[in-house]
Amino acid sequence: MYFTFAADAFSWIFLALITFMWITVGIFATKYAEHIDHKKRFFLFYILTYLMLVLLCFSASYLTMYLSFEFMTLLSMPLVLHDETKEAIAAAKKYLYYSIFGATLAILGLVFANRYAADTFVAGGSLVSGLSESQTLVLQIAIFLSIVGFGAKAGLFPLHSWLPTAHPVAPAPASAVLSGVITKAGVLCIIRVIYFVFGTEIIRGTWVQYALISLALLTIFLGSLMAYQQTLIKKRFAYSSVSQVSYVLFGVFTMNPIALTGAMLHVIYHSVIKDCLFLVSGAVIFTNHKHGIAELEGIGRKMPITFACFTVASLGLVGVPPFAGFLSKWYLATGSLAEGIPVLSWLGPAVLLASALLTAAYLLSISIKAYFPSREGGKTPADYCVDDKEAPNRMLFSMILLAVLVVILGVVAQPWVNLFIDVVGGLF
Amino acid sequence: MNICGVDLGFNFTGFQLIYTIVACIMWICSLLFSKEYMAHYENKKRYYIFMVATWIATVGVLASTNFLTTFIFFEIMSFTSYLLVIHEETPGPMKAGETYLAVAVIGGMVMLMGLFLLHDALGTLKFAELTAAKEAYLLAGGSSKRLFAAGLCILFGFGAKAGMVPLHIWLPKAHPIAPAPASALLSGILTKSGIFGAIVVSVCLFFENQTWGVMMASIGMVTMFLGALLGVFSIDLKRTLACSSVSQIGFITLGIGMIVLLGEENALASNGTILHMINHSMIKLLLFSAAGVVYMNLHKLNLNDIRGYGKNKPALLVLFAIGAASISGVPGTSGYISKTLLHESIVEYIEHAAHLGHAGLSNLFSVYEWVFLVTGGLTFCYMLKLFICIFIEDNKDWALREKYKNKYCMNNLSLGCLIVPAAILTIMGLTPYLTMNGIAAGAREFLHGFEAEHAVHYFTWVNLKGSIISLSIGAVLYLGLVRIFFMDDGVYKNLWPAKVDLEELVYRPLIALLLKPGIFKYIDGIIDNFRFMEWYHSHHGRHFKKFHEAYLYARDSMSFGLFLAAFGLAVLLVFMLISL
Repeated sequence: MYFTFAADAFSWIFLALITFMWITVGIFATKYAEHIDHKKRFFLFYILTYLMLVLLCFSASYLTMYLSFEFMTLLSMPLVLHDETKEAIAAAKKYLYYSIFGATLAILGLVFANRYAADTFVAGGSLVSGLSESQTLVLQIAIFLSIVGFGAKAGLFPLHSWLPTAHPVAPAPASAVLSGVITKAGVLCIIRVIYFVFGTEIIRGTWVQYALISLALLTIFLGSLMAYQQTLIKKRFAYSSVSQVSYVLFGVFTMNPIALTGAMLHVIYHSVIKDCLFLVSGAVIFTNHKHGIAELEGIGRKMPITFACFTVASLGLVGVPPFAGFLSKWYLATGSLAEGIPVLSWLGPAVLLASALLTAAYLLSISIKAYFPSREGGKTPADYCVDDKEAPNRMLFSMILLAVLVVILGVVAQPWVNLFIDVVGGLF
Repeated sequence: MNICGVDLGFNFTGFQLIYTIVACIMWICSLLFSKEYMAHYENKKRYYIFMVATWIATVGVLASTNFLTTFIFFEIMSFTSYLLVIHEETPGPMKAGETYLAVAVIGGMVMLMGLFLLHDALGTLKFAELTAAKEAYLLAGGSSKRLFAAGLCILFGFGAKAGMVPLHIWLPKAHPIAPAPASALLSGILTKSGIFGAIVVSVCLFFENQTWGVMMASIGMVTMFLGALLGVFSIDLKRTLACSSVSQIGFITLGIGMIVLLGEENALASNGTILHMINHSMIKLLLFSAAGVVYMNLHKLNLNDIRGYGKNKPALLVLFAIGAASISGVPGTSGYISKTLLHESIVEYIEHAAHLGHAGLSNLFSVYEWVFLVTGGLTFCYMLKLFICIFIEDNKDWALREKYKNKYCMNNLSLGCLIVPAAILTIMGLTPYLTMNGIAAGAREFLHGFEAEHAVHYFTWVNLKGSIISLSIGAVLYLGLVRIFFMDDGVYKNLWPAKVDLEELVYRPLIALLLKPGIFKYIDGIIDNFRFMEWYHSHHGRHFKKFHEAYLYARDSMSFGLFLAAFGLAVLLVFMLISL
């Protein structure tokens, strides 16, 4: 086993995404940091986490990937812990336990990869041929468990519940990168395990695939449904991430080029959108000290730009054309139907759309309340959020940048689709 | 042009050209009418921006040549028009807006599901290729049930926008509270964008499919009858017009069903459908604008309040009369032509079905013919109710009676906006062979219509008979029912069945139920919560304080326990690996 680094298309795509997000959120964080103690510590770990993610992108063997992944977990934990309140420490502990549990499961895959696959990643997988039936079964169990393990980072049920605990207590920029980017690190690891180490042959059409898709679909629905129940802004977004990252995983598990293209599109779309949403929540917390959704009634007139960004991002997440978010769903669903897995091939798209409905319910309701507060009892919009003001410019810059990207990525989508079809084509 | 990764396709010929022109006429009239109507409203800039955005999106829908293009513009249209519905921002409009948006979003998602299925089955979503792709798909052994499911999903989405029963719930709520020019557009043209999609699905995928045709005809029948019935009960001017819209959408849906059923003999049905669509657009532009004139002067819509308002306003009276006569199908108006064509197509199918040996269908459509005639009667009845109330009767209140003697009701620009649709309707009604036949011929291809074997003579006794039966039923109902039972001491009784509300009784409770976390709350916390201990604690909390602490500790350590479990599992699997 070696420590190997190499760069392929996936490395560059994820690196570009991570770097862009880190800079955009970083700009926001420089303003947000006025609000928090221990600024140096925050930015130190912010940058260290980034470095580990870069290593993860360029990892070219299971072992390298595993180690970068572990370090990333350990170095991102202080971001969750940052406020040092009782809840923050508890949440950080939970994050750590879940991640380590997941990583331990991932070791299983490492052990088997060492014995049955090539030392480095090979596009399409490098599993040795001629395995006996019992060997195949054990291998399938190991692959299943290691994917579930890496899925902890991506918020895959049953190891998803660190997300809604960690996000509300972490500083907003940390939530943004945790939710928008670090969850995608889990996705990258799963892509590597399936498509670069073991290959799709051993999983396709077996109980492993069905179980994984079922888990992803359950997570999609569960996340959206739970998001709808939440009364805290960041907790709602956290559950929303749980749901949305599983859209990506659904595409990855379907093992169809079209669905995987949709998954890659959704990686980009969800990162941009969810970071925008978390930055909005950060701006609200920073400027007006509000955490609850009920407190946002009428705030749209005081923070018009912030909530314009919020509305654009929300529409994107629901999947309303022409914003980003529609096309990824289209590819995920058509890919799933084309793959023709019994029941799941049409149940998948149906769950995606049910979740999109819930997304509309839990995001657009915020938007509507923010812009059109209730006028019952003769109240006017001027009676709401009297002391609130618009976010500072540096924060607006990051949010507007991301919101504009939601529009641009949505309208000018074909180049991206072509790119991903190209990249993904090499894996099948 | 590639937007959103979709190759947009537009076509401006035939039906799509005609309807684009209709849309443009409607928007120009509404925008100009808004100038006076909206003079005292807030947020005018927002209103105009979203009016124009909705205009562009609607033209995008009506001119599209593949379903993805349709879908993109359809969604944009739904969201931009939402801002028009809630323009006043008061609780009423907000609630109606919620209904509108919910129906639009749910409809959009279900439609998207249908598009997924259709794309998967046929591999194309271009209208021009659908029929051939469908034939190929069925020949290759494709499942017709799957195709039907896809068609139903798509129809659900478009039908929700069109206002087909049981998805009509947003119409009677959104129309009365939106600004009148916006109501005119919602009713006159946005519903037609739904019809547009329903036509494409029906004629491209299910042409000559008996099940689909009977289904569409039945939906149309239920929609037309219920809408008209509600219209008779309503005493709110704009709500009556909204119910009338639902009803007329029913007529059009019936027409689509007849196009599908009659196949190569569908000349009458296709002509009737397209002509009724255009008629209804123009009529609703005219009538909602007229209602807008009433509202902008009085800020009231209740019939008892606005009674007698039009007595001294001959221009308004004539304009309203043109619209009301046309929608009731009085001979000599354009509405008479389109309704006659639709009626004749039913009669044709009754013979057709009997000829083919489908006695059941033949009998069913004989019933439908009578429902059609009775609905025509109801239409005449509620229009008579509105017309007599506003333009003939005197108000009970003497002060109002004096006030209503004022002759001024709108400026010349607004008057012009009302005259345009009225003029179009009159010209069409007076020259049916020239104008209406011409329009129908131009639009025929899109509806998969066939040319008629014989020219239709609109003013023969056979054709006049249907109209006369309808009008007689209407007159009898008006005199026998509305004047006697719906009025109490000269006051219009509010018989609107507010309690029997499909939305409040079924949809809202159902959605609330679906949104409850239920079992998913427990699934969500499966790893880090022993819910039974929490329950135990809440029931015996006082005595088991220690227990609760133990529970918190356990909850904290649960994930750590999992960590250990995983480690054990790892060891076990490594052992298995070695022993293999």
